[in-house]
Amino acid sequence: MPVEQPAFARLTTRQLHNVYVDLLGPVAQPELPADTTPYLFESVGAASEPLSESGVQLLEEAATAMAAEVFGDAGRREAFAGCAPQTAWDACTTGFIRAFGRQAWRRPLTPTEEARWLAVAADFGSSDPWEGLEAVTAGMLQSPWFVYRVELGRPVEGRPGVRRLTAHELAARLSLFFWNTTPDAALMAAADDGSLGTPEGLEAAVDRLLADERSREATEAFFAQYLDLQRLDRAAPDPLVFPDFTPALRAAMRAEVLLLVDERVQRQDADVRGIFSARRAFVNDVLAAHYGLEAPGASPITFVPVDLPPDSPRAGILGLGAFLTMNAHAVDTSPTLRGKYILERVLCATIPPPPDNVSLDLTTGADADAPLRERLDQHRDDPACAGCHAMMDPPGFLFETFDATGAWRTEDRGQPIDSTGELLGVPLADAGALGDHLSTHEDVGPCMVKQLYRHAHGRLDTTADADSLAQLSEGFAADGHRFRGLLRALALHESFQLVAAPDGAGVAP
Amino acid sequence: MSRGPLSRRAVLRGAVHGVGGVALGLPLLEAMIPARARAEDVGLGPIFGVFFWANGLPWHDGHGSLQAGHPDHWTPSTQGTGWAVPPLLAPLAAHLPTVLSGLEPKTEVPDSPAGQSDGHMRGFMVGLTSDRPRPEGFDHPSHTLTALRPTLDQVVAKDPRFYASFPSPYRSLEIGTSTARFHDYGHWNAISYNGPDSLNPAVSDPGRLYEMIFGISGGDGSQARRAALLDAVLADAGDLRGRLGAADRLRLDAHMEHLFQVQRRLSLGDIACTAPGAPGSSADLLTQTGIQADLLATGLACNITRVFSFMLTSPATTHVFGEVGVSQDMHTVCHAGDWDAIYAITLLQMRCFARFCDALAAHVDPLGTPLLERALIFGTSEYGEGYQHGNAETPVLLLGGADGRVRRGVHVRAPAGNLASAHLTLLRGLGLETPQFGFSGSETTIDFPQVLA
Repeated sequence: MPVEQPAFARLTTRQLHNVYVDLLGPVAQPELPADTTPYLFESVGAASEPLSESGVQLLEEAATAMAAEVFGDAGRREAFAGCAPQTAWDACTTGFIRAFGRQAWRRPLTPTEEARWLAVAADFGSSDPWEGLEAVTAGMLQSPWFVYRVELGRPVEGRPGVRRLTAHELAARLSLFFWNTTPDAALMAAADDGSLGTPEGLEAAVDRLLADERSREATEAFFAQYLDLQRLDRAAPDPLVFPDFTPALRAAMRAEVLLLVDERVQRQDADVRGIFSARRAFVNDVLAAHYGLEAPGASPITFVPVDLPPDSPRAGILGLGAFLTMNAHAVDTSPTLRGKYILERVLCATIPPPPDNVSLDLTTGADADAPLRERLDQHRDDPACAGCHAMMDPPGFLFETFDATGAWRTEDRGQPIDSTGELLGVPLADAGALGDHLSTHEDVGPCMVKQLYRHAHGRLDTTADADSLAQLSEGFAADGHRFRGLLRALALHESFQLVAAPDGAGVAP
Repeated sequence: MSRGPLSRRAVLRGAVHGVGGVALGLPLLEAMIPARARAEDVGLGPIFGVFFWANGLPWHDGHGSLQAGHPDHWTPSTQGTGWAVPPLLAPLAAHLPTVLSGLEPKTEVPDSPAGQSDGHMRGFMVGLTSDRPRPEGFDHPSHTLTALRPTLDQVVAKDPRFYASFPSPYRSLEIGTSTARFHDYGHWNAISYNGPDSLNPAVSDPGRLYEMIFGISGGDGSQARRAALLDAVLADAGDLRGRLGAADRLRLDAHMEHLFQVQRRLSLGDIACTAPGAPGSSADLLTQTGIQADLLATGLACNITRVFSFMLTSPATTHVFGEVGVSQDMHTVCHAGDWDAIYAITLLQMRCFARFCDALAAHVDPLGTPLLERALIFGTSEYGEGYQHGNAETPVLLLGGADGRVRRGVHVRAPAGNLASAHLTLLRGLGLETPQFGFSGSETTIDFPQVLA
């Protein structure tokens, strides 16, 4: 099996915030460089873009401020260091450098590194040894060994050009993948004593990570990126037409998607494709009013599950406000954007961009008052457009009974709505039927595997990854499309532990 | 080389650096004025900036047949000086804009895979680098693509000649106003690139900009300690560097180069910049432009940097210009073909540009020179017009006198002229002798001599 280069990813903003707290205890949340999400994922941005100069400055200011916060309090600094240094070169200082370095860099320090940071402690702590420890803390948090997930690996016998992650590198990768933070003491111990390097030890570690509450947050973060929920933040429904679209409603729309995913993935641990067909919504009071649902017990901060009728067109996450709003215009719905989202995000299909110099204007002309569906017929009558729009628009039409903020409607410009449609040639009666269709669709699983793989590796998959993706997809299907099973299989798969040797010079220790 | 000017230059350098044993009270640069007045070969140097607005101009016959039927309210009807001011340039008239009209990018951008030769991000990348973008990823829903070369602001900021006489704490500052983005995937947050995948995101929060300009003085010597600490970080990076593959090494090197700049900034000690009160923030674009421009101008007057980019609105902006009665976002309105709305929005964007220039005209440097006289500001957009993504008649404005090197208030018309000639004119106007500029078909050795003094 061919192997790709490691990604050399810097920690994402989300990971940095978590790691700072795990290392230092509660600290004022510093401003950090914003992540980018090329190909949807923070991890891809973190592995492909260099930190900007302003971003590096933010990391410097953050490290300085957090170290000052921890060491500015006499009780806190002693609890943090675990001892009180008397001189800048005593056992307390040495022990602190070893212990904090190992935690922050997710591996033991080399003698050269120990000497380097001891010199820093001596230099900065010459008048007050605490200042030496503070400097070491601020400095180590800026080292590339902290900022990046360094994956150099060790040579693999009989496989030139291939490296296997060291036990500590694997621990870091697992922890950042499952928990979005640095390895805890138990995982570091498993790396130290080598047990993580055995199949049983690895399985035990993966099962523990997966069982922990912290894996929820990282899973949620994956789904938010895979479903591209950040676009909901930018949606701008016309306030004159949709006066009830408040910041509270927008926030609730985001929350309910993740609650539905959480129930399916974490609590039921069932076929994850059910997120497209579930006749169930998690609503607070504003969402219940928006959807016209009875939701006893709902309040601004309490989301309650509501079971919808089995024939409800509002089904799964595609029937929720987030998808319907972020794939609509300010006033009109957009069957095109809704269909495009399903094809691209749910089925991993590629839609070419529109040709140059086509009119994207459907709002003028003699039929300006016709229902949108009729105006969109232009898309499929014009041969320059038909190739793609014949794929994109028909699944989008299924959602025409939901307005540009996802509220139920029965007419468009005074005329009854035709919400029949099709997905890639399969005729469907309404959005509910689409959800049911997707919940058994054989492309949904491999698409999710591909997206999770990109997220986990911080890069696009290449032909070198084809076998891994096929194996994971087969296993996912055989296991009943349980997402937690997929997470486990991915972490145990060889592709999670092997990287290509760097193309440049250099030998791993 | 004579000793006199050299020693004065050294003193000036020491003053700007805050090192070299020069003990001067605040404000440092003002204390240098007598020396400067005697040493006529030592100037504070020109300031270069990019002012970017989104979605081009209201379209007219010059943009193409699909756009025909609307008047041209941008291009002056005569060349040279003394032209009647067209309505869209009226807000800027007091600042004597120099107008280069008729230009278009000559960079050849292949269309395979389809779509990459078009698009708003491509527009600014070609317009500010003169080269094609890297197309990989454009067909992905995230429309990922990247500039292949540094944008013009970074070409200037990294040219060793530009900061040769003495450096500034920041080689450049990247500033923005509107936070509306057509896409939220990150690379739409910048119109400044160092090279592939290496973007300089615009700082849109006045609080952060204030911190960057006025917060870098330690006062208690803590800055020197912070700078010294970074030696150990750089040494760590040195251990790692040789063990990485080539692509990863490039990213680590870029990080460390940025860290070195942070270290250099910290080691300058106190910057002689009197901080104004902490800034507010406004949702109104014109007001926010004023807040950001005033902060930048205060910093420029203290030599905090001499290069900036200012992204009023990001390419393909979805900013909603409710203040001129347009309730839908600009990108949508543009493609809907609402000329009147785009006219009103562009006029407002020019008022913002004028507000920006007001700040640079009002602030004087320690030698008493208004910043706008030293500045050369390249005002442009990603398209000639955004309705049909037309590249013809790309707007090019030059504001400021570049320390007397650029003529103000001149109109030069070059029908179907090469946009790279404007780039070359800017570089030469800054005193950076450049034999040729442009790439992938836009190469040129010809500038616009009419605007170079």
